[in-house]
Amino acid sequence: MLKQLLLEIYKADYVSKSNLAVKLDSPVPLVEEGFAELVRLGYLLEDASLNCQDRPCGRCPYASMCQKEPLKTWTITEKGRALLEDYQAAV
Amino acid sequence: MPITIALMGNPNSGKTTLFNALTGANQHVGNWPGVTVERKEGQTRHGNQVYTVVDLPGTYSLGAFSEDEVVAREFILTGNPDVVINVVDATNIERNLYLTTQLLEMGAKVVVALNMVDEAEARQISVDEKALSRRLGIPVIPTVASKRKGIDELMEAATATIRAPLNGHVRLSYGESIDGKIAELEDLLKNGDLAYPPGWLALKLLEGDEYLRKVVDVSLKLQGSDEFTRFWDEMAVQAEDFQLEIVDSRYKFVGDVTKDVVRRPEVAVQTTTDKVDRVLTHKYWGMPIFAVIMFIVFQLTFAIGQDLLGRWMATGVEYAGGLLESLLVTVNAPQWLIDFAENGVVGGVGAVIEFVPLIVILYMLMGFLEDSGYMARAAYVMDNTMRAVGLQGKTFISMIVGFGCNVPGVMATRTLESKKDRMIAILINPFMSCGAKIPIYLVFIAAFFPSYGGLVLFSVYALGILVAFLMGKIFSKTLFKGETSHFIMELPPYRKPTLGNVLRNMWDNVSGFLTRAGTTIFAVVSLLWVLAVLPVGVEPYGAESILGRIGLLIAPIFEPAGFGNWQAAVGLFSGIAAKEAVVAILGMVYAGVEEGMELVMAIREVFTPLTAISFMVMTLLYTPCAATLGTIKKETGSAKWALFSATYTFAIAWVLAVLVFQVGRLLGFS
Repeated sequence: MLKQLLLEIYKADYVSKSNLAVKLDSPVPLVEEGFAELVRLGYLLEDASLNCQDRPCGRCPYASMCQKEPLKTWTITEKGRALLEDYQAAV
Repeated sequence: MPITIALMGNPNSGKTTLFNALTGANQHVGNWPGVTVERKEGQTRHGNQVYTVVDLPGTYSLGAFSEDEVVAREFILTGNPDVVINVVDATNIERNLYLTTQLLEMGAKVVVALNMVDEAEARQISVDEKALSRRLGIPVIPTVASKRKGIDELMEAATATIRAPLNGHVRLSYGESIDGKIAELEDLLKNGDLAYPPGWLALKLLEGDEYLRKVVDVSLKLQGSDEFTRFWDEMAVQAEDFQLEIVDSRYKFVGDVTKDVVRRPEVAVQTTTDKVDRVLTHKYWGMPIFAVIMFIVFQLTFAIGQDLLGRWMATGVEYAGGLLESLLVTVNAPQWLIDFAENGVVGGVGAVIEFVPLIVILYMLMGFLEDSGYMARAAYVMDNTMRAVGLQGKTFISMIVGFGCNVPGVMATRTLESKKDRMIAILINPFMSCGAKIPIYLVFIAAFFPSYGGLVLFSVYALGILVAFLMGKIFSKTLFKGETSHFIMELPPYRKPTLGNVLRNMWDNVSGFLTRAGTTIFAVVSLLWVLAVLPVGVEPYGAESILGRIGLLIAPIFEPAGFGNWQAAVGLFSGIAAKEAVVAILGMVYAGVEEGMELVMAIREVFTPLTAISFMVMTLLYTPCAATLGTIKKETGSAKWALFSATYTFAIAWVLAVLVFQVGRLLGFS
């Protein structure tokens, strides 16, 4: 499932977990866990839209003008790309 | 001797609620040895037996990816709990069962507390706990920890499990090849005198657990065994595949189990989300739809904010100004203070505050779009357009943040891994029209284009994006060449916006705006007021004042753009301190010139529709404020780039403002 999930993410224009769940015939929570596992294994990278670890929102004077809900983006790592190449060659 | 129960579960599974329900006040908090992870322990009684309950850290997995995971699994394997109660959130059972499979792999005595069954029921999720118990080979007890439901049954099942021998556990198969390697490795590890069950240890090593690999390496080295090293050398090529196969086997197992035992309604909202997205994020239609939505937002802002609420605020500011003046006169305040209050505070800061209703409506509508999930689609549509012109798509995230304020907008470029992409994103961010510039446009729209407010404001924002795209393209072909990285954006499901969220979002922005009006703008206005009334003896707010002379010095630069008057020049100059100050200073200098006249009226006297457009183009694009420049210096690590940003944006703004004015004049506009 994880290889297939990574392949679907790679092929998709954008990530819609509900869409992926339909494609993989899996419930959405399992797809979410799949994302978490792909991140843990180093195949996928989750980027938050802001990285302000040096100054959390509570102490930032610009917090009120900033994004409330950061947009989430994903990047397939080199390791993930290599895996996909092998996987696509195999199927 | 008390029996030990370990509580294990995903974060937010209700584990701590169950811990509290079991132990009540009989609990104490400490730390796990050597780490900063909190250790909670308490006592409970069931029948005549006293149990020690240990609340393990909430984790999704039992790898070695975090201190929490290591602490939890070390306790289960070496802390000798008599039973593990695995708290499983019934509303999110698929994700929670992944941890359960790992507990089963450990060979621990496990009882599942299927928690929050009431919430699951409310969401029409049904779990056949008997079938689940059969599939896992362990007891499954439905609970509602928050209402203490099922606690006695759970303790009964835990007690029975402790007394019974360990059997009936399901054993996962990871495929013939991996199962064979596990058995082979297990044999090698049996001789190692290690604290972990050899079968589990073999599995984790094949899964690439570096923490355990170090433990095993050290232990076997001490015993002089080199069989393990040989085995591992032969394994090296396959290791990565095994890792994924093992995780996949767990998913397959969880998927198979839940397909049989969990029934949930088809989530119609998600299907609708995907259907709506096919239109809203369409390759060709997405951008025009986004443009239409933004146009409607700006139109509504003017229809509600200006026509319905704007007059009240103007009257309010005028009334407050009158009160302040009367109060100062009553207490025999010196004339300069009365003058400062009237022209500096009311004329300056008041001019900015008069536009608060429009800002309130604009941020409410934007909050509505954000809360509905549409803004993520807008970002995706912009990302597509950026990619189409060969730019790094992720730049759009910092651009969206820049619409609020360029300071966090510049900081948001930190997500870009490549230096080249980041530099481009930083340098084009100031073209995003920040919230502080809104009052400037509103003054000029109210003066010249009251019937086309939405269209003008929309055009201003669109021009900013267009110039940012163009400059980004130019930079990527000249100063910062190279490949752009690929990323995929996540679109959250659509939600019904809640009034609370929309109002909170609006308040955050408006309160930030008002705070700046009361601090930064007040400080800038106070300083420039002094310059506007000095030296003593000259006409205050006149061309002979220090401020007037500074303005006269700068004004010729803007002559080709059609607004070569000293007031406009000092207004723009003050905007480098803070953009909100532009309107405040215009309010002060024009209030001083035309006693009692509203700023909008004064603007109408001095500017023309064409010079108003030219001035708005200038303010949209010219040198960013001091705080943004400081952030650019910090983020690029160089004052040189801050200076470059200050000068190149000014040059672009000037060229376009001159172009607007000169071409407009040639076409016969005034």
